[in-house]
Amino acid sequence: MEPQQQQQQAAAAAAGSPRHAPEGAPPAGISLHDFCGRAGEQLVHFHAMRLRDSLFLWVGAEPALRSLAVAMCSPHDSIPVSTSLLGGASDTISNSLAQRLARKTKKQIFVSYNLQNTDSSFTLHIENRIKEEMMAFPEKF
Amino acid sequence: MAAKPIVTSKQREEVVRGVPTEVVCTAFSNSILVVVTQYGKMGTLVSVDPSTIANDISKPSLTTKVLLGTDEPLIHVCAKNLVTFVSQEAGNKPVLLAIALKDKSMEGIKALQELIRSCQVW
Repeated sequence: MEPQQQQQQAAAAAAGSPRHAPEGAPPAGISLHDFCGRAGEQLVHFHAMRLRDSLFLWVGAEPALRSLAVAMCSPHDSIPVSTSLLGGASDTISNSLAQRLARKTKKQIFVSYNLQNTDSSFTLHIENRIKEEMMAFPEKF
Repeated sequence: MAAKPIVTSKQREEVVRGVPTEVVCTAFSNSILVVVTQYGKMGTLVSVDPSTIANDISKPSLTTKVLLGTDEPLIHVCAKNLVTFVSQEAGNKPVLLAIALKDKSMEGIKALQELIRSCQVW
């Protein structure tokens, strides 16, 4: 690679992605976003960290990190591929939530789901709360 | 619903030896998440665990395991150098480290340690 080209790339990287940056905002680096919601009787907290083309999303009622899964779209399959990184293969909720969000956003998605309740209607509620927040604050995801 | 964050995060953006670098540290009750990136991405995910050996009064040794990404020796070295102090200072908590580095020189790693320290959440 030519030095000049390298410099240009470095400058572009330093400037960050201008996609969602509003006027006068600092360059779009990693953005953090906390929100919460109520699912049934439970208050659920969310912590989102948007990186370049990827998203880390933590879901829990108390501040522990017990599971982690990653999912991304595959050119060979309509269902995004996913794998468990922490918490064992039995942690299907982090996996499926990551898959659904990967399909929706086309990004690489890390999900850490740390709630006892794994009921499908409950998790659907959680998923809808996330999508609602994504609609309201697209620049945060 | 707006939220008072349940987890504490600190973030810094700085040019380290000519490379724009971002660091985000997040404190969970059972572990610390440290993101150090010069590509804006998560990169390689490494779990750094203090192994608890009974009857050992010395500092616990750290086990590194690559959860996602290329499992090469240098990654383990970088991981231990970057976050051993985080684990120790947090009371021997495990650290989940996401690293995407352009500069893996010893000087670079030293500078990154300081940047991580400036994002202390433990």
